Amino acid sequence: MVNDSGQLYTMEGVAAGVIMLLTAYIVISTTSIYTPGDTHIPDMQLEQLGSDVLAMMDTPDREGGTSQLVGFVKNGTETCGGNDLRNEFLTNCKMRAGDEDTKLRAQVYLSYRRTDGTVNTTPLSLPDPEFTGRENAVRVTRWVQLDGILPGIPDIEHSSRPRAVLVEVLLWRA
Amino acid sequence: MSLDFLAGFTIFMLALIMVVSMVPGLLAGLESSGIDYDAVAYRTGVILVEDPGWPVYPPWEMNDLAHKGEIERIGLAVSKETPNILLSTKVKKFFEEGFFDQSDYRNKAIFGDIPYSYNISLNISHPDGSYELKRTGDPLPPGYGYIRRVVKIKEPAVAVIGSDSRYNDTTLNSSILRTFTVQLNFNELLDPERGPAYRIDPRTEPVNVTITDFGAYLPANDEATLQSVTFWKMDPTRPIPQFTRIPFSYDTEDSDLYILLLDEESCNLKPEKEVANTISLVLKPAATSLFTLDQNSILDIRFVFDDSPDPQRTTLNGTYLYDYDNVPLSPLKPGVLEVAIW
Repeated sequence: MVNDSGQLYTMEGVAAGVIMLLTAYIVISTTSIYTPGDTHIPDMQLEQLGSDVLAMMDTPDREGGTSQLVGFVKNGTETCGGNDLRNEFLTNCKMRAGDEDTKLRAQVYLSYRRTDGTVNTTPLSLPDPEFTGRENAVRVTRWVQLDGILPGIPDIEHSSRPRAVLVEVLLWRA
Repeated sequence: MSLDFLAGFTIFMLALIMVVSMVPGLLAGLESSGIDYDAVAYRTGVILVEDPGWPVYPPWEMNDLAHKGEIERIGLAVSKETPNILLSTKVKKFFEEGFFDQSDYRNKAIFGDIPYSYNISLNISHPDGSYELKRTGDPLPPGYGYIRRVVKIKEPAVAVIGSDSRYNDTTLNSSILRTFTVQLNFNELLDPERGPAYRIDPRTEPVNVTITDFGAYLPANDEATLQSVTFWKMDPTRPIPQFTRIPFSYDTEDSDLYILLLDEESCNLKPEKEVANTISLVLKPAATSLFTLDQNSILDIRFVFDDSPDPQRTTLNGTYLYDYDNVPLSPLKPGVLEVAIW
């Protein structure tokens, strides 16, 4: 028995089929799917590079010597300690077998305990003029142990004991 | 059930089957060929930079071509406590042309069942601003996995002995043989208080002794005869400690074990030759391992000068302590190790 209401089933079937096929086609043809598994790789490489460089800058070249990193941090914000630190950090990061990896940029911050007991975080290097805050930057840190009087670091807690400060570097590819 | 319903349902089912058959293709897009290579490159980088390799004692780099099979894993670190600090002797062996072949790099450093292609390079920065590039592997294609590790390289210490009044003994009778001793006290050198990155370890690094100004020890002559160079050892923990001469093939020249240069001329350890300006000895760890020394031993390297029956011509005599006070350690050199895998 064929009537008008029966044709509706056929049309529904066709419509549902077309919608499903279209959906599947659109999903598949969407250009490469960027999975979380992919995104972390360049980040991981940068992070490894940054933490290697900080570790090596914190390794004295001679037994009992002062490491480069300690020297730069001691100079602090008042003199050019922070900028020198960034430049040396980037020189180490950029080194490779062929040409230098010139696209790397960095920004250095220092966190320490002040006389009043609060923790202060201050930029150690001058701000990068091209830094917008939207860069896909990685953060690498290293605790550095400092002795003696530190006039370069404003309002740092005075103590006869060694003090630990946190050097934090934002590293990104321009 | 109407025919129309059947037709509609059939079309729906057919479309559903088509969509389901597309699902594997949908997941295929999630695969990434880069992930594996980057992971393998990272793993290889970690093995090379953070691991001293296996075997550790005697270290793998002391194996010659005939004993290459005994090397199980190639690592370049000074020790497992000092990641990123590489030992120059390991680096030299790793990049030595003709020592390791492709399958060695794959089986002892890269690992894995797939025969990966690789390119491993180390760029060392020298204090004078120059760079030294060491490289092994094939040229890089597009789409390789990559890791870059920043490292420091530990070079062996060199004892440079110039004109020094402590070893210039002018009071000795002219008939007595002149003996200049370079003494290595392993107990002191291998002091565990000292970090492995700043240690003189004759078991893993060559012992370098260079007498640069031998002329200063020749008061009235131009030359003196170096009779022999011998090795002696003593174990102070024994009841009656005394030095004993170490049996060694002194009259066979072997650059894998030692290099003795008299005025830039290579010779064996019984040279009986006249020397005027410089004496240089490099005693390699392969030789030191033959001496069966432990961490309490004292090793003497004795340079004996003898011009008899003529009167002795040199005044070089005494004992030079090869220790941290006299022998300056070379500063660590920065470098960058890159691993590319595809």
